[in-house]
Amino acid sequence: MKRNDLEIKMNINGEWKTLMVSPNERLIDTLRNQLSLTGTKEGCAEGECGACTINMNKKAVLACLVLSVQADGAHILTIEGLQNAGKLHPIQSSFLTEFAVQCGYCTPGMIMAGHALINQNPDPDEETVKECISNNLCRCTGYENPVKGIMKSAKIMKEKPHHG
Amino acid sequence: MDKTYTQIGTSCHRIDGIEKVTGQAQFATDLQFKHMLHARILRSPHPHAIVKRIDTSDAEKLPGIKAFASLFEVPKVLQYWFYLRNDQKKKQMFLTDSIVRFVGDPVLAIAGEDLGIVNDALSLIRVEYEVLKAIHTAEEALTQNKVSIHHQGNIAFQVTKEFGHVDKGFESSDIVVENTYHTPRQKHACLEPIGTCVADFHLNGRLTVYSSTQLPHWSKHYLSEAMGLSLNQVRIIKPFTGGAFGGRCGLIHGLEVMSSVLSRKTLRPVKMSFTRQEDFLATEGRHPMKIYMKTGATKDGMIVANDVHILSDSGAYGTHYIGVMADCLSTGAGLYRIPNYRFKGMVVYTNKPMSGAMRGYGNPQMNFAQESQMDMIAHALQMDPMELRLKNYRKAGEIDPVLKEEILSNGLEQCLEKGAASCKWKEKRVAPSSSNVLRKGIGLSIMLHGTGAARALPDPGSATIMINSDGTADLLTAAADEGQGSRTVLAQVAAEILGIDFKDIRVSDTDTDITPLDCGTHGSRQAYCGGLSVQEAAVKARQKILDYASKELNTDEGGLIMASGVICDPSDPAKKITLKHLMQKMQIQDMTLCSQIIESASGIAPAMPGYYGAVFAEVEVNMETGCIKILKLTSAYDVGRALNPEMVKGQITGGGIMGIGFALTEKTVFEKSHVMNPGFSDYRLLRSCDVPKVDPIIIESHEPTGPFGAKGIGEGALVNVASAIANAVYHAAGIRLTDLNMSPENVLRLLNQLP
Repeated sequence: MKRNDLEIKMNINGEWKTLMVSPNERLIDTLRNQLSLTGTKEGCAEGECGACTINMNKKAVLACLVLSVQADGAHILTIEGLQNAGKLHPIQSSFLTEFAVQCGYCTPGMIMAGHALINQNPDPDEETVKECISNNLCRCTGYENPVKGIMKSAKIMKEKPHHG
Repeated sequence: MDKTYTQIGTSCHRIDGIEKVTGQAQFATDLQFKHMLHARILRSPHPHAIVKRIDTSDAEKLPGIKAFASLFEVPKVLQYWFYLRNDQKKKQMFLTDSIVRFVGDPVLAIAGEDLGIVNDALSLIRVEYEVLKAIHTAEEALTQNKVSIHHQGNIAFQVTKEFGHVDKGFESSDIVVENTYHTPRQKHACLEPIGTCVADFHLNGRLTVYSSTQLPHWSKHYLSEAMGLSLNQVRIIKPFTGGAFGGRCGLIHGLEVMSSVLSRKTLRPVKMSFTRQEDFLATEGRHPMKIYMKTGATKDGMIVANDVHILSDSGAYGTHYIGVMADCLSTGAGLYRIPNYRFKGMVVYTNKPMSGAMRGYGNPQMNFAQESQMDMIAHALQMDPMELRLKNYRKAGEIDPVLKEEILSNGLEQCLEKGAASCKWKEKRVAPSSSNVLRKGIGLSIMLHGTGAARALPDPGSATIMINSDGTADLLTAAADEGQGSRTVLAQVAAEILGIDFKDIRVSDTDTDITPLDCGTHGSRQAYCGGLSVQEAAVKARQKILDYASKELNTDEGGLIMASGVICDPSDPAKKITLKHLMQKMQIQDMTLCSQIIESASGIAPAMPGYYGAVFAEVEVNMETGCIKILKLTSAYDVGRALNPEMVKGQITGGGIMGIGFALTEKTVFEKSHVMNPGFSDYRLLRSCDVPKVDPIIIESHEPTGPFGAKGIGEGALVNVASAIANAVYHAAGIRLTDLNMSPENVLRLLNQLP
């Protein structure tokens, strides 16, 4: 711990944690380095690629553009927190069944962007989904299957809302 | 009729999917080790300079700074594995000197306890440079005789080939089309930046490097040479990899060797991760090319002569320029039956970032020129461009002039027919629906790409299969999966032959300590070359299983069948045994035997079969803004046999979108030798809102040498997209774009609305 470190509290994937962070520490570094939550990926460090998308207070945010001190008191959900009791979340299984995953590096960010969207809009149309992930670059798939994955997940969650 | 297959030809979900959707998949960037140091590189601000002195004294005083590795002591890799053939060639592969040759060329690597301290140290290094005159363009490389980038000069490679008699061919031509094309530097832009590794050197002489390489075994060879270690002292482990597209086709300039030197100095694991900016500035990209092409045809539409001159820019170093130029020749001369063909290729060095392997390997540039020429010839002859292709392409049964091999499978005609039917080519071609401002058009192009590199390069493939006592199996392969899904497809091949479910095959991690020699992933080769090795090993294992089963069942093994994990004699229902029971007996119960079935295969593929494709692009050109909107791609590819159809479609769709990027938006912009757009804000990749519908069509021509008839797909899906778009733009707006990107500025210039 350094002298000017600050204490923050965050609810991370359902559990409150008290952490010491430096004032200029980015949330992505706290997640990946302090908490070993390496599912959140870094692709550009300037908010252009979306690989580090997480949910903060149910909204999609880019963990490379948020300082950890800004997340004091926040509810953070990362890709690691989506599965429930050993079962994949519908958006995770939909990405598999719709062949939305190739290399998998953009996948956590893409899934978290889709997850936040479905939270706000349980019945998004294709254009809305495309717009939602327009900040998430994918070099492998060409986006069609990730869009299908999110649409399918919304449908499953509408039919069986307890999954969400 | 084919026999019924249960494992191949089905779209199984990828075997590593769950790790990827849960965040458990560990990429190189995610790796953490105890006592690990972090390293970064100080890079040259000059395009060409001699490093006279590096003063590290201030940086050394920082607590936590542990080691330095300078360009004076770290060899650079100058060639690809073609140069591993003998000791003399190997010497030419490496260079250690004091010269920096592009903005971003590594000068010094620094290792320290954390990244913060290393970043502080970077700002404290003082370097004394003697700045040299720089070469900014390929043309300058030829004219500026006083500036020599490498000791042999600025020409890296040249080649001339002639088939038939080109000048006579033009004499017998009724029409001749002659143009010069320019293609830009495209970046792989895989989402995991190129350039992360962890090197871990132990005092016993063992070096382990975790690296997202496409070529684990060749990387091991390069590192052993660079570090002066024997091959069995070097271990490469490839973690999950966030895309590659050719960008990880060997060691990364400065990455693994510098990290290994730092680890040897400190005896601690050293992690180095390039930023996105470093990826753009200092790793390889697609070769920019200037292609002059003159094509002659008779009035009945037979192409009789082609004259090709290529000037390719390898940048400051570049490892793949020979292979890339060779592919321009083989794909160009191989696609069409042109009796008189001349090819002159020259690769030069400039003081720019290196070029290297990238999806398509020279073919996208060559195809853009060739297929634009074909479109112009069709227009001049008032012939349907599809008909012109059908008249001239090399069919199965003909001899490929470069490979000197018979073409055994070619589904191009079906690609054209099915693609044309699906996109309604004839209707749209005749009557483009156009307004004055928004002009719609449709264009097509075709392509050939080789699968693997048999006989062109050392291209080994190997696999080992071990049957477990519960009837599952382990497959050991170094067929590096960068995300394309080769591990899944190879499991399907093994499962089909062993008569078990693909989920019962565990595919090993890619680790040179446990997986046998494999060339790795390049040249669209893993379904074919990897598949052949797995097939051979699985067939041997199956034979061993049947031999043992026939003894146990007291029957002739020739009559036994294996399916769903059961071995049985169809003529005698009583004679059956599960694979599980059989293997349990063999390995554990029968204490006179206690033997596991372990079978391996290793060797080179019998051929380098071409795979083929036709792309139909529908576009809308805005005559006022110059913007080109892609309405739809219809992409039909002959993949021999689709071992996993949805994964094949994934390649076609993803490759199609990357091809649109090459055509419209992706270009490294230079101000002299400085990259002006080293990031995603200025280097424009297509986003979800930008992409059109892609209609992927699979054609199966059953390549007789392939595993279950399969051949490649990975690269081809990008190759002929730009040419199809250029031809569609011509159909829509009557302008011929010969320079990529087809930016609004370029369109307006041709429409005479810009100077």
